Amino acid sequence: MKHGTRREKRLRNRIIATAVLALLIILATTFAGILAPNDPYATSASSIRMAPGAQYPFGTDNLGRCVFSRVLYGGRTTIAATFLLVFISFLIGTVIGMLCGYYGGILDTVLMRLADIMLAFPQMVVAIAVAGILNAGMTGAMVALGITMWVSFARLARSHTFSIKNEAYIQAAFFAGKSDFYIIMVHIFPNLLAPVLTNALTQIGTTMIGLSGLSFLGLGVVPPKAEWGSMISEGRAYIQIAPWAVLFPALATIITIIIFNYLGDAVMDYMEV
Amino acid sequence: MVLLEGKNLNKCFNDKQGYTNALKDVSFSLNKGEVLGVVGESGSGKSTLLRVVSGMIPPTGGSLLYKGEEYTGKRPRKTGEFLQVIFQNAKSSFDPRMTMEKAILENGRGKKDRAEILELLKLVGLEERQLSKRAGELSGGQCQRMSIARAFYSEAEILLCDEITSALDVSTQARVVELLQKLKSDGKLSAIFISHDIALVSMICDKIMVMKGGRCVEQGTTAEVIGSPKDEYTKLLIDSARRQSV
Repeated sequence: MKHGTRREKRLRNRIIATAVLALLIILATTFAGILAPNDPYATSASSIRMAPGAQYPFGTDNLGRCVFSRVLYGGRTTIAATFLLVFISFLIGTVIGMLCGYYGGILDTVLMRLADIMLAFPQMVVAIAVAGILNAGMTGAMVALGITMWVSFARLARSHTFSIKNEAYIQAAFFAGKSDFYIIMVHIFPNLLAPVLTNALTQIGTTMIGLSGLSFLGLGVVPPKAEWGSMISEGRAYIQIAPWAVLFPALATIITIIIFNYLGDAVMDYMEV
Repeated sequence: MVLLEGKNLNKCFNDKQGYTNALKDVSFSLNKGEVLGVVGESGSGKSTLLRVVSGMIPPTGGSLLYKGEEYTGKRPRKTGEFLQVIFQNAKSSFDPRMTMEKAILENGRGKKDRAEILELLKLVGLEERQLSKRAGELSGGQCQRMSIARAFYSEAEILLCDEITSALDVSTQARVVELLQKLKSDGKLSAIFISHDIALVSMICDKIMVMKGGRCVEQGTTAEVIGSPKDEYTKLLIDSARRQSV
């Protein structure tokens, strides 16, 4: 018992520490307009590929744009798109999963076979193909990743709905005359929220890699809009002359992904305690 | 006045081993203010009978009547208007995220009467402060009494009690039995009480139905069944209960 409590405390501290770091990143990118020392889109022929210094903390790129300002603005694009995509996938996947688990039958068979088909292809391959066909910038990249992302939420929500619907309190709700909608919203959804939200947290890192990857391949944001993946892609051409143009957006991507993955893992461990 | 009747109830399950007749021509009747005990070993069909009577599963044959009106095939949303089930594991019959007050109110079919809830709590021997608790914060016995209060709040006339004391310790069992006896003596209880414990059933019930292999092997008033059992199986159950109590 004492050991369990100590472990719980340790995990809680881990969650708080990583959540604070994640919040700092979110705040820094949200308030990029205030924190950025330079205009992220302003080109300057006199300051092309300048090394990091007082005026440009992360140096400048091939067009003389401030890398630090672009990393802040790029983070806003990447993080906002990631959160939006995870949220939409969570919503769609959870609703589909709950309906399949609750009603079963033909609806469950059809939707879960569709999910199986989605899982049969590697997510990134499908995303590249779809983003390439759509050719719609960041929205296209989000749709491309979202096509397969809802599946994990749906399967998780379905399996939890299956076990919850056999609980005696669901039977009690039937005897109370409650509708299917009421039972799903009041009894099932709140009771599966914790594991599904934990899954959402662990998906943030993967989604960020996916979106940055598509942007890196030129299938995400359209230049000159700042985004970490596209910044790495642009800087790649002159990496030997100005490595900072690649290093800082890459570091920002790696650090953010590690923090969100760590947060997701910590929350998952905490839920299992 | 006959409240509930089951006539020639049959229930057949089709599983991997083939057809299983869980209920074979079972008939019973329950009068207002009466408690009918259903006893038998595991697999005798007691719980299947409860599930059929409550509408959780439809019977394969036979009919069910409430106040002379047939309700065979009606599902719990409808049957819940006149009967309520008290589950074996009372804790799991409450949403772990819901307070007791919300859970009781949920069973009121739109009725929001806190004064009545407080009265019911008094009746089952619980306190007002326990209304803000969740199932995990109450003991098994308290949850069981809370579920009786919840059932009464629904204004359903019949309680179907499924082994409601089997998951409780002896002293808590005694308190729940006392409560049921009190409700019965107040004329507030019409119930079917399912249990494997014939001694317990004889303390609460007016009538006893003994089941074996899906059949009703004996049925009568408690005095008849306990005093002069006719079936060998009933005698065996009574003997084992006596041996256990020695």
